[in-house]
Amino acid sequence: MQRQSAARLGPLLLLLLLPLAWGKGPSPPRAAEELQVSNRLAGQAARVALHYLNYRLGSPSALRALGQVRKATLKTIPGIGHKYYLQFTTEDYKSSLNVGTCLATVFYLKRKPRPAVNINCTYTKDQKQIREDDYSFYKKMRQQTKPIIGNDIPDSYGNIEPALEPAWALAVAGSSYLMWEKSTENLGYFMAQVKNVKQWITKDDSIDFDYSVVLHEIPTQEMISCHLRVIWTPGHPLKVKYFCLSENQWSESEEGSGTESGSTNGIFNEKEAHF
Amino acid sequence: VFKMPPSPSVHPAQLKMKGLFVFAVLLAAAFSRETFVGNQVLRIFVADEASVEKVKELEELPELQLDFWRGPGGQDVPIDVQVPFASLQAVKIFLESNCIRYSILIDDLQSLVDEEQTQMIRQHFMPRSVETFNYASYHTLDEIYDFMDLLVAANPNLVSKIQIGNSYEGRPIYVLKFSTGGTKRPAIWLDTGIHSREWITQASGVWFAKKIVDSYGKDPSLTSILDNLDIFLEIVTNPDGFAFTHTTNRMWRKTKSVNAGSACIGVDPNRNWDAGFGGDGASSNPCSETYHGPYANSEREVKAIVDFVKSHGNIKAFISIHSYTQLLLYPYGYTSTRAADYQELDNIAKAAVAALSSLYGTQYRYGSIITTIYQANGGTIDWTYNQGIKYSFTFELRDTGRYGFLLPANQIIPTAKETWLALMTIMEYTRDHPY
Repeated sequence: MQRQSAARLGPLLLLLLLPLAWGKGPSPPRAAEELQVSNRLAGQAARVALHYLNYRLGSPSALRALGQVRKATLKTIPGIGHKYYLQFTTEDYKSSLNVGTCLATVFYLKRKPRPAVNINCTYTKDQKQIREDDYSFYKKMRQQTKPIIGNDIPDSYGNIEPALEPAWALAVAGSSYLMWEKSTENLGYFMAQVKNVKQWITKDDSIDFDYSVVLHEIPTQEMISCHLRVIWTPGHPLKVKYFCLSENQWSESEEGSGTESGSTNGIFNEKEAHF
Repeated sequence: VFKMPPSPSVHPAQLKMKGLFVFAVLLAAAFSRETFVGNQVLRIFVADEASVEKVKELEELPELQLDFWRGPGGQDVPIDVQVPFASLQAVKIFLESNCIRYSILIDDLQSLVDEEQTQMIRQHFMPRSVETFNYASYHTLDEIYDFMDLLVAANPNLVSKIQIGNSYEGRPIYVLKFSTGGTKRPAIWLDTGIHSREWITQASGVWFAKKIVDSYGKDPSLTSILDNLDIFLEIVTNPDGFAFTHTTNRMWRKTKSVNAGSACIGVDPNRNWDAGFGGDGASSNPCSETYHGPYANSEREVKAIVDFVKSHGNIKAFISIHSYTQLLLYPYGYTSTRAADYQELDNIAKAAVAALSSLYGTQYRYGSIITTIYQANGGTIDWTYNQGIKYSFTFELRDTGRYGFLLPANQIIPTAKETWLALMTIMEYTRDHPY
């Protein structure tokens, strides 16, 4: 008798619990605060989102830089962390022309080593052109019999030799991985200079570069020296290994989708994105 | 299998005997010409300890005149060495016969040196006048100091040069005074180069100096500013650091003062002022880039300005210029308490940024230091503001991070031009709102 009534109660209980599953039930208090677009933490979070995007796209010709923050909200999740909701414009890294808007969330978790990023962007740059530019760099590097080498890119006067520019762009893409990993809510990075680049001629399909880079750390103002190994095949995720002088072991990018710390839906065409 | 090298280079068999004085003398004579023709830089890959030891054997032979750019370390650490032409064959044969892999990092060192010289000459053409001075390139300390003298000589009724002190390493610290007369008129202070690696600022300072003399008598607004106020411009606020960025470390920020009890040199001159000195927005570690120093005004470069400002007593606007990240900032940096004149400063900043942007569309953010950039204790304009200099501002010039400190020279004039519009906005406001 008891078992029968319990069996009937089961589905009823499930029905009662459903609204909670949909989030209509009580939830922990979350403080949400709209930030001024000039707020430094908003800008910092936007840059982190772009480091992540630049790494995941893994394309020297598609690198983006921050334009302007259009909207920023901060949610404090007690005991867990701070989550930034951002809308910002972006510029092509080389030409500084506007190339679209992004929506991103950047979640600084107390218990995880690196920020979790979700980012979606519109894209106004010609995708075909990007693929062609990437491929022409790739081909040129594959055809090298003597490995490409270089120092101080840019040099003290800001010059970048045109022949070394794609290698510099690849360093930016590789450094983006490292800058994403190292960024915290309060510590941000810029890639200041490639001190050294050396190509490894490989027998497989990839191109392979060894870099020494200098990162500029904010707000400490320190210049951090890092060693970077970047392995790239167009259309495939960048493989990055790095070692910074303040650490005592190599860190390495994951292969595959690596969605546990973030995701990007890449490119889609939408005229207006609402937040 | 290897061939015997032709004379007069060193025979590899003799390497094993160590010490061939004749060859040492010959090579020393050849080397004293100070030319690198035919010299190469090799990168040696040592896969095991035995190979490291073999390379170390080469180090023991002074007659080879090897110059290790990166000396032998552990296995797997590449070794970089400059090898004079005369020793090349022997060294390569030695490596090959010991199965030590190497690559040629620099094929011909002399051509690299020549290239660099050409670059330097192109950059550092000694001007004969302020009209032929190259404003679109970066200059050395000597060149900027020469420029100042040329400017004063060409405009003796408008410009004078004042020495306000000496740097730690004994360099004179100069300020240009632009004045049309009067006695201790209210004044506007501009400084650039307090952080030596921010090269766009000193370069802009040079341009501003020329702009002032070009505009007086031609631009009505600047003319009326100078008819009522004086302008002081300190172009190289940190000369020791600046010289160091040219000779040794392009990324040097601080002064060059020696820190007692530490191997690390230098104090951050923008954390050394007496405003919230020593708080969280600065470091107490001498090795840090934001080290505040042992006490406020410990740095001669800072003390010189403090003494000048106090003894002048009539400065009405103080603008300190940095790079990068494209910001216009007002006090405070050391506290989140709003400055008493917050609203007025914010309005001025907004107008100045709009003026800047009107030229090329360059976007700046503006706000108080602590909300817009980060907490900073012991900063310049917090001190000047607390001294009663109401219109105290800091600029962070171009860019937003692509080139950062290494801004290409072709951006010097555009940056200076747009920044000048913002400076004019602030100076006009100062002129029109005496206090």
